[in-house]
Amino acid sequence: MRDQFSLDGKRALVIGGSSPIGRAIAVALAEAGSDVAVATTTSSKEEETLANSCANEIWALDRKGFAQAIDAADEVDVSALFERAAGELGGIDTLVNAHELPFAKPAPEITFAEWRRVIDANLGGPFLAARAVGQRMLADDHPGGSIINVSSVLGERGLANGSAYCSAQAGVLNLTRALALEWARSGIRVNAIGAGWTEGMAMVGDDEARSKLERFLPHKRLARPEEIAGIAVYLAADVSVYLTGQVVWVEGGALSHV
Amino acid sequence: MSVLDKLNLTGKVAVVTGAGRGLGRAMALALADAGADLVLTARTQTQLEETADLVGAKGRTALWVSCDVTDSGSVGAMIDATMSEYGRIDILVNNAGGVTPGMASALTEMEDESWRVGIATNLTGAMYCSRAAIPHMLEEGAGKIINVTSGFGYRAATNNFIYTSAKAGLINFTRALAINYAPEIQSNLIAPGLFPHGDPERVERWRHGKFTPMGRLGQDEELGPLVVVLASGLTSYMNGQVIILDGGGLAGGHGPTGFAPVVPLPEGA
Repeated sequence: MRDQFSLDGKRALVIGGSSPIGRAIAVALAEAGSDVAVATTTSSKEEETLANSCANEIWALDRKGFAQAIDAADEVDVSALFERAAGELGGIDTLVNAHELPFAKPAPEITFAEWRRVIDANLGGPFLAARAVGQRMLADDHPGGSIINVSSVLGERGLANGSAYCSAQAGVLNLTRALALEWARSGIRVNAIGAGWTEGMAMVGDDEARSKLERFLPHKRLARPEEIAGIAVYLAADVSVYLTGQVVWVEGGALSHV
Repeated sequence: MSVLDKLNLTGKVAVVTGAGRGLGRAMALALADAGADLVLTARTQTQLEETADLVGAKGRTALWVSCDVTDSGSVGAMIDATMSEYGRIDILVNNAGGVTPGMASALTEMEDESWRVGIATNLTGAMYCSRAAIPHMLEEGAGKIINVTSGFGYRAATNNFIYTSAKAGLINFTRALAINYAPEIQSNLIAPGLFPHGDPERVERWRHGKFTPMGRLGQDEELGPLVVVLASGLTSYMNGQVIILDGGGLAGGHGPTGFAPVVPLPEGA
């Protein structure tokens, strides 16, 4: 059974390698045998350090990989990232869109520039990367691939002060379904992971907000990033080849509650 | 621990209902592949013995027990037999269900008994099995329940009142299991699309799956790994959720398959 889930010989690109979930997914894919390139979505020193340490973990697992800083909502950056991945890894079989731009603010105070930036980063970024996969795979007569978009419970339910972020995350869920239908017969599968409240997620807020959340959640704790990442191995592996257009929720029962 | 080690089910005991053939057999064999020992139940004995032999060939043990999931006494006896053989239950797969007499009927012509038996088979049975197994899972401090729903749990079809209601009921029953027995027990569902299980008559009736987005029917070997995922440590934080394995069917369904219009933006936009 273990062999069926092996990702040996696959090449993955994880955008958002400095976020807790992106990093955990990158490492899980590498543990399962994939080569993994990671991209960070800003060039802040702190995020670059995180992405580099993620790449170090991938190298420590004896897999190929690199880290690159990009603006995920910039066409030129995304295009350059795919060029480099094609060159250094030889191609892409798995794309993970795990980057996010957290943002919460009362709606009357949100400027339109802020709104656009949040939608561009959280929804435009996954579109640009998925488009790059589609352009390459459809042109190459590529045997197939798996796109995994990371969205969140905030894409399914609302949150006060979350108008921009929640709208973008909901957009990612239906982007997933629309691309899945468009590419269902081309061998490109498109699924999403609907992450629950997770350790290290900026949208959780401060410690007080966090303990309120923990009391509310059926599991009485947030998800550990590795618990979100496990299902990405299944979605990247050939064993899930009949699965497309789905959101796989990993949220500790949060959405089951009234 | 590497992420793939979490899939190992060695030392776990899994109960699979409706394990004589089709989906149930495919899931039982996948759980055995991952290292679990099995308890196989169904009403028909001969098919169970065949599944048990196939599990044995994978080097795992299998206890088979004839059981009618619509009879709580029969379910209780099956769980007792499991406990006396293995002393534990880690995984329960509520797979028993299917077509019952009078199921495909217009509502105005439906017999009371058709509704009662259809709901008993496709919903109540999962309740009886879960109710009987949960105390033993709580004793261990951990457990996995996997219920089998269907695309008909989400969407309706002509003259399909009983099955669709039962399968939708099963989804919310599973959510209730999730929040009531978290964090010890994780309860999730799989919703298989069209899987003919090697039956050529079904392949023809479903037109080889030409109308599904992927353009083909599902294969049993695609279902097995999914049940292992849901039975394993890979999904320790997944609870109350459905994974729909249907080649993209439910992602669309609001228009004909392959409907892909091209509508340009207005000039100057």
